[in-house]
Amino acid sequence: MRAGHFKQSYLELVALTDSGAVKAWTAMLLVGCMALPWVASSYVLALATTILITAIGVVGLNLLTGVCGLISLGHAGFLAIGAYTAAVLAVDYAVPIIPGIICGGLLAAALSLLVGIPSLRLKGLYLAITTLAFTIIVTHSILNLDWLTRGSAGLSLPAADLLGISLAGKVSFYYFSLAACVLFVAAAMNVMRSRIGRAFVAIRDHDIAAEMMGINLVAYKLMAFALSAFFTGAAGALAAYQVRYINVDSFAVLVSIEALAMIIVGGLGSIAGAILGTIFMSLLPEFTRWLFDALGSGLTETFSTRALEVRGLIYGVVIMTVLRVQPDGLIGLWRDAKRLWSNWPFRY
Amino acid sequence: MSSILDVEGLGKAFGGVQAVQDVSFSVEQGTICSLIGPNGAGKTTVLNMISGLVPPTTGRVSFERRDITNSPAYRMASRGLGRTFQNLAVFAHATVVDNILVGMHARLSADPLTAAVYWGRVRNEEIRARRRVEEIIDFLEIQNVRDLPVGTLSYGLQKRVELGRALAIEPRFLLLDEMVSGMNQEETEDIARFILDIKEQLNVTVLMVEHDMGIVMDISDQVVVLEFGRKIGDGTPTQVSQDPRVMAAYLGGAGEAA
Repeated sequence: MRAGHFKQSYLELVALTDSGAVKAWTAMLLVGCMALPWVASSYVLALATTILITAIGVVGLNLLTGVCGLISLGHAGFLAIGAYTAAVLAVDYAVPIIPGIICGGLLAAALSLLVGIPSLRLKGLYLAITTLAFTIIVTHSILNLDWLTRGSAGLSLPAADLLGISLAGKVSFYYFSLAACVLFVAAAMNVMRSRIGRAFVAIRDHDIAAEMMGINLVAYKLMAFALSAFFTGAAGALAAYQVRYINVDSFAVLVSIEALAMIIVGGLGSIAGAILGTIFMSLLPEFTRWLFDALGSGLTETFSTRALEVRGLIYGVVIMTVLRVQPDGLIGLWRDAKRLWSNWPFRY
Repeated sequence: MSSILDVEGLGKAFGGVQAVQDVSFSVEQGTICSLIGPNGAGKTTVLNMISGLVPPTTGRVSFERRDITNSPAYRMASRGLGRTFQNLAVFAHATVVDNILVGMHARLSADPLTAAVYWGRVRNEEIRARRRVEEIIDFLEIQNVRDLPVGTLSYGLQKRVELGRALAIEPRFLLLDEMVSGMNQEETEDIARFILDIKEQLNVTVLMVEHDMGIVMDISDQVVVLEFGRKIGDGTPTQVSQDPRVMAAYLGGAGEAA
């Protein structure tokens, strides 16, 4: 009889998980996501679609900031590039949705090298400022290149269809986003368990040692930027198709900060953490609005007239609380709970 | 015997400070060579120049008869040259297994696209790498900590993981920078035994910078002595320990340096 948890082949050691419970929960989560359109209102469905799309971009940001340790405030820029690429291709050249998403990701990845190159010498706050400048340059360029982007008027996208199935409806677009999200998350998890993910972690923890292990710092930092921007660019393209109208205002610097807040709250460097953070931060405004409604009409008014300020306040409070109380984020909370559960009644 | 590493006329100036000046020596295949000297003698700078982290001002380094003087540091792993660092340089948040796997970076081939799919060649090479890591873990006797984040381990164990990571490169030549500093007697003896095993079982040539004279005199085949960036002694441990210039450098007194 086996008296513990043993692995009997090296294949089991490199597998994503060998735990029956994890597989069962993942399957249940997927079934739950598939079943959502039958039970949810169209408002909830739209919110769920937004969360799925945001998760793709945030997982991308986490690859760069959480895993490789390079802070970026440029992701609003990558999001904008992805969205505008898909939109311009769809409106002016009638390019279908999937090539549109891929092109959006690829262009964002290509332009990320522009910010990636200064990142070779900059760290921490200096890199944050450089990437912040990138976001501002992107939004200004979009405003001024009106022959391509229609300037401040914005762009309306036609409804997409996939192999003859229209994605105009909320339900069909939800399923499409779900498939995209699963694909991107699976890809990120695979990258993380390959030599590339390990190289990113090595660069974050000790770059000189990483170099002696044969990791070309220049190539891998640029790769982290490009990979991250590809995810975020693709998310931007998807978002453009979801809303079907894009305007430069949707890609303000605050979007970058929100994304950073999501990975900090969820847990830096963890894919599950990035997803948890996305869900939490996306539901937070809904929750506060519900709370304000419950508390009285005066507050509801404040919330609707000053929505942006209230949101900013809430994000600030949440980031500070998490950094102070639980620096490992929600995923750290989950790990603690798991440890407590499996060791109880012992402390360790 | 033939030499695996040749250092000729190596020099490095940091601004006006001449850290290393005209240092030449050769390391024979299959030996353990120690680089010793008082603090600030330029030992680590010599190691950094050999491993490509610091470009030398003058001189050249050849590894297996090939000039590697201006070759970038990240190429060294695939050439078969591994190293550890003076201060802990482990990837503290990653597990022991992942740390050692990073050492195999140059032996793997995944690119972003094939890694994202993780099928066929990439998966097979990961399985091979994982098996190799277990061999290294067995060799260094760190089985019981393999899944722990390295940052949570004791200093001695962290150094051992760092050694394991350098071994994962599959080096033919290993540079060790002060492996045993800050270790107790027992840990030091363990490391000495591992270094001898590395030389004899894995057939790796070792160049180590060391302050602990016990381990230097016990296991070295050759000792090179630096003082103020110049070489003042080179030979077997017995020869070097009787050299009047070396004695003067270490003990002070009436050497010709006075």
